[in-house]
Amino acid sequence: MGVSTVREIKILLQKEWKSEFRQKEHFAALVIYLLSTIFICYLSFEKISDGQTWGALLWVTGLFTSFNAMHKALDSAHQPQLLHLYTLATPGAVILSKCLYHAAQIAVLNVFSLVLFLLFFGDAVLIKMDWGQLITGLILGSTGLGTMLTFVASLAQRTGQGVGLMAILGFPLVVPLLITIVKFTRLAIEGVTWATNGYQLMLLIVLNVLAIVLSYLLFPYLWRE
Amino acid sequence: MKMHISLKFLCAGLLIYVAVFAFITPLSPALLQTNLTEIKPGSHTFELVGYNSHFQSAGSNALYLINDSTLSIPCTVTQVADESHLTAEVTLPNEMHSKAFAFVLNNDIDGTVFLETPLKVTDFTMNPDLARTTMPLFQHREAQFFNYPYQPIIMETIRNLMWHVPMWFTMFVLMIISFAQSIKVLMRGQRGGDDLLMPIQPERVRPHDNKAAMSAAVGLVFCVLGLITGSIWARFTWGTWWTRDPQLNGALVVFIVYASYFILRNAVTQEENKWKLSAIYNIFAFILMVVLLMILPRFTEGLHPGKSGNPAFSQYDLDSSLRTIFYPATFGFILLGYWMYHLRLRILKIEQAHENLLA
Repeated sequence: MGVSTVREIKILLQKEWKSEFRQKEHFAALVIYLLSTIFICYLSFEKISDGQTWGALLWVTGLFTSFNAMHKALDSAHQPQLLHLYTLATPGAVILSKCLYHAAQIAVLNVFSLVLFLLFFGDAVLIKMDWGQLITGLILGSTGLGTMLTFVASLAQRTGQGVGLMAILGFPLVVPLLITIVKFTRLAIEGVTWATNGYQLMLLIVLNVLAIVLSYLLFPYLWRE
Repeated sequence: MKMHISLKFLCAGLLIYVAVFAFITPLSPALLQTNLTEIKPGSHTFELVGYNSHFQSAGSNALYLINDSTLSIPCTVTQVADESHLTAEVTLPNEMHSKAFAFVLNNDIDGTVFLETPLKVTDFTMNPDLARTTMPLFQHREAQFFNYPYQPIIMETIRNLMWHVPMWFTMFVLMIISFAQSIKVLMRGQRGGDDLLMPIQPERVRPHDNKAAMSAAVGLVFCVLGLITGSIWARFTWGTWWTRDPQLNGALVVFIVYASYFILRNAVTQEENKWKLSAIYNIFAFILMVVLLMILPRFTEGLHPGKSGNPAFSQYDLDSSLRTIFYPATFGFILLGYWMYHLRLRILKIEQAHENLLA
């Protein structure tokens, strides 16, 4: 992966950003989706009295929002001009830029979701929480989800069945990441030290690396007819 | 490409051997309980209940009450009711050095058996020096018949070791085959590289795709069998059909992932696409399986042996008597899985040839 790949990634990221900016309604739709989901949680739970439920709910919401964020990836790949663009770049640059972009997008959505959780459910259960760990978890969880779901979306898109298959293929694959991140968040809310949470942190990093490496290695087989 | 006939006979022979000996081998003798709950200096009469023991046919039984495994006090067996019930008497001195007591029984058939039981201890003078001055009177002996180790909660269900664990080994072997064949599919099924116009040769890719799919299909069967045998075992040892254990839940996720693999295969109609996409998903699924069943359980609290401080079978539970059945069982089931995979593969080939004839 040389300098040219980094340049390609930069250009592809700019392309993604521009298309996102042109179609602001996509992101707006995700925000509204997030808002209504959390509001429904707020109305149905009334009150969350323990940290574990708080953390688990945050990530379940995060998971569903991430799946929704992938719909755009599924749609946009159909556009012929994008296919042309992708033939100009190396497959490694294409998948890395996509993963980076979606990871960032999901991270932004998760931060937004965190703010909404604090607004609706308050921080009464978070007195002991280690904020550094929570934010680390939020970033690692988002990158993991972003990478895995980007790859599954590319795969589902190639089947021509789209959204329905995406959920079937994607949910089982993100289970290890999800249980690790939920546990990491729970321990962060309980306010344990970094050392105590070290196993989870290490696992999160391992899962992230695995997802990126696998996507990078397998995408070249996937992207062209 | 047939499985050699000797391997089939070996497989059948091993599994028959396992099926017979997994069930007829008795558990090791043990002491179950006593009605003695409280001790103090003086004379006590008590009953002792054994499990798989031979109190009567052994002739004489030597019984001791041992104090912290260093001081042993001989008891007198007054009456042997049957093979597993006896009555005994013990006279205790005024001085003891610890509050931990256990019964030890020694006879010619059962060897040495222990019962560690909490006893309410009153009126003794505690003398810690006693331990160094008194030697144990009994000699440790093995049971005189071939047996499986007695484990307090597992008890007779230890036989399930011969069924439950080989299922997972077999599944792993089949999934490794599937994984390797998927990699071959990707390597051979790739158009492009230097020669973009070179077409994919279906006859070079299809056999590997068939192998990957069929070994995953048989692996999935063993996954289900492993879940079922595990669930039954869990009911008798952990008290519930399903519980919060990382390996248990991981195994279910593995089942879902490989089931999704077949949904993916059915969803894609174009053949070359199907090969490529299912091979890619298979590689993901395999890595996920390794993470779920081999990495995650080591970092999570669970009930399975060997995890989070629970003893592993390999350490001391899996003694030589279990191994004589367990290793043949593992090997036999792996052979069976491989045999099933070959049969499925041959059926699929015939079906495909048939379709080609019709087309």
